[in-house]
Amino acid sequence: MGNIIKKLVIGLVVGGALFLLSRWQEFPFVFQVVFFGHAMFGAAVFMLLDAPSVRTMGAVKSTIAIVVFYVVLCTVFVAGASMWPQFDPEDEKGKIAKLLAPKRAATEQGKAEELIARTKALDEQVKALEVRLRTLGADQSVVKQMPVGDAPPVVAKAPTGDFMKIGEEQWQLHECYNCHKLKGEGGKKRGPELDNIGSYLTAAEIKQKIFNPKSYMAEGFEKEWEKGKMPDKFKDVMEDSDAMALATWLSTFKNTSVNTPKPIKKL
Amino acid sequence: MIKTWQRSLVAVCAFLALFGGVAYAQTSDMPPVDFSYTGNRTAVWIVAQLHTLFGAFVLGAPIFIVISEWLGYRKQDLRYDRLAKEVTKVTVILFSMTALTGGLFIFVLLAAYPQFTTWFINQFYLVFAVFYPFLFISGAIVLYMYFYMWDAWKGEKKGRHIALGVLLNLIGMTLLFVIDGPTSFMNTPVKAEGLSPQDLLATATLWDKIANQTWMPLNLHRIDGNVAFGGFVTGLIGAYMYMGAKSQEERAYYDWMGFSGNLIAVGATLFQPFTGLLLAYEMCDYDFSFCPYMMGDQLSMFFEMQGAMIGLMFLAINYYVWLSLKRIEGVEKVRITILAPVVMVAFPFVMMVVMNYYWIPDPMSLAFLLPLALSPFLGRFIPFTVSARTVIKIGFLMVLVGDAIWLTPHGFAATGAKMAAEVELPEAWNFLGTMPAKLSAMFTLVFVTVVNYFLYNRAIKRGTILWGKIDFTSQFVLIFLAFVSIWTMGLMGAVRSLVRKYFHTYNLIPDFSAESFTPTLSYSAWWITGITVMFFTVVSFAVIVSLRPSESKGHIPEGSPVPARAK
Repeated sequence: MGNIIKKLVIGLVVGGALFLLSRWQEFPFVFQVVFFGHAMFGAAVFMLLDAPSVRTMGAVKSTIAIVVFYVVLCTVFVAGASMWPQFDPEDEKGKIAKLLAPKRAATEQGKAEELIARTKALDEQVKALEVRLRTLGADQSVVKQMPVGDAPPVVAKAPTGDFMKIGEEQWQLHECYNCHKLKGEGGKKRGPELDNIGSYLTAAEIKQKIFNPKSYMAEGFEKEWEKGKMPDKFKDVMEDSDAMALATWLSTFKNTSVNTPKPIKKL
Repeated sequence: MIKTWQRSLVAVCAFLALFGGVAYAQTSDMPPVDFSYTGNRTAVWIVAQLHTLFGAFVLGAPIFIVISEWLGYRKQDLRYDRLAKEVTKVTVILFSMTALTGGLFIFVLLAAYPQFTTWFINQFYLVFAVFYPFLFISGAIVLYMYFYMWDAWKGEKKGRHIALGVLLNLIGMTLLFVIDGPTSFMNTPVKAEGLSPQDLLATATLWDKIANQTWMPLNLHRIDGNVAFGGFVTGLIGAYMYMGAKSQEERAYYDWMGFSGNLIAVGATLFQPFTGLLLAYEMCDYDFSFCPYMMGDQLSMFFEMQGAMIGLMFLAINYYVWLSLKRIEGVEKVRITILAPVVMVAFPFVMMVVMNYYWIPDPMSLAFLLPLALSPFLGRFIPFTVSARTVIKIGFLMVLVGDAIWLTPHGFAATGAKMAAEVELPEAWNFLGTMPAKLSAMFTLVFVTVVNYFLYNRAIKRGTILWGKIDFTSQFVLIFLAFVSIWTMGLMGAVRSLVRKYFHTYNLIPDFSAESFTPTLSYSAWWITGITVMFFTVVSFAVIVSLRPSESKGHIPEGSPVPARAK
């Protein structure tokens, strides 16, 4: 018992010191708690080291002990894994659906699904026309009403605002923020900050860089360029129009107060 | 009875896998089957993971079975031969389970993802239709020959039997290399600058597809992992048998068996972080977006959990050494140079600084690392020494420090997108979340463990081991180690698969199903735990079936039991 109390006191003292030290160093509260937890776990380990020996058990007692041990292990492991921050799959599902939509459309199944969808739309139009024909003459006011199931609107060329939205959406979908900082968000210094990229490159040049990462090298990122850190997959996974939208959106960033490294033409 | 059903099972599964797979490959228009409750992806996950676990054991265990048999022959110590034979008995049963889960795996895959599986089989037609079944059946034949010829080929014919074991390992190793081709291909299919993946694949040979960028790192990681895994499961078998032993002599033998299995496992485990790192490095080199996805984004907390698991594993490994030392008479006289604990304490901090400037394998990083690593040997020229007990306790402290460093993330957020100041490391302490910090922690854990085993070795030279007198807690430590190693294998296997994101084969074949998202760590932990429990249940059954009856029938065990005071 003396051993346990002694280790507990040491654990509390060390944990308390770590807690205060990390607080003084402006660590977030969660880190302070975790450091305290490490100290207490350490105290438990040292208690175990000096614990008295356990006597050999009989087969029956051993079997029961093993089963209990497994139950404890399973509970602790599942609970332990559940205590970490959990990624919400809902955040990803929409993105994946959008990313895969053009690929799905290109498959036989996708084409078949599109045909079915068109057939359904045409069917609805026919039904709507039938309704209109039946009501013609009976009630003229019906004609003035909005027709039910009118033909699908013709998709006009996306206005500039929408085009920019698509560009921004592509930034999010392809998680460019994992390597590039923009508007003060993301980055981690893996790739250059892009707030002033529009001052250096045109939309067409940015698109060229996206599709062929070796075409330009950012000053100060020689190692990354040589190692080919920027994935060369985008020409295969992005639609041409989407890449253009992303490039156009990026080309609008001309914040000269941000030190975006100068791109050097390589190819 | 067992012999018959085992043989039948292997044959049926192998032929089912062979012909069923090829036949089904012609029916790609079949609609997928919906697995209720689990969903299709999890159904594949369960059988694939179980197959991998059984496969890992039957490929890993024979490596040290043969080494053990050879040691027994060379040293004329029957304990080694008995250990080898007992583990082979369990391996034979688990080989049947490998075949069973393998057959089940291919059928679940075909049922859940018929179009992709058809495409995949066609890509590796020779592998799935010829090489793999041929090697699997050859392996089965040689394993059974190896097992049943044990008593016939002894004495002068022992060399022949050992050669058969070597052949078994060669087949096993080839099998692993062959199947790692398609496995690694799913993550890193062959690619070339200026060509689309589809265009390149159309012209790629089978060898191009197999020898992809992560093939060899995966081979190395799995060979090493399989040996470690086999060792931990041997430790588990030893623990079960120790707990059920009725005499002191049996306890002495199974204490030795548990220790030996664990020793092999620890030796292989020391390399695991480095081969794992090599695999991750090659993945990131293939496509850098893997890196943030694993370490900073959706899977970052999986790596936190991995850190926790490896920390626990190293604590348990060293705790077992501690308990093993306690049963050595004369251990109190064992001392070691003061340089060892000094370097232990300095190790994580020095390496953290060094690796910020010189990344391994930069010669300058080795210039710092080697003198530190060799300090226990260089220290013999220094007259000051410390007791083994004190050094081990300092070692525990440093394992805890190493774990704490490994477990300190950039921030407590599930994704980089959700990182906020209130959960992120302060700028000045950001280095704690970087790779140099993690590597220094890794080196510290390995260094402390090596020093502890160095001390143990010194202790057995100066003292007497009281086999069978080990603290009973140690048997739970062996069980714990097997459980943690299997759980970690499941976790990292999930990571390796999830890295493909929403593709069946990265950038080539998208997964259009509704399940192609990253699951939560909690959800994954439930299934990993379930799979681990299933595996443990089967292994426990295999141990009971193959090892217990020999006692009840009054069978004379192979190898003479070890006297309680023997070294």
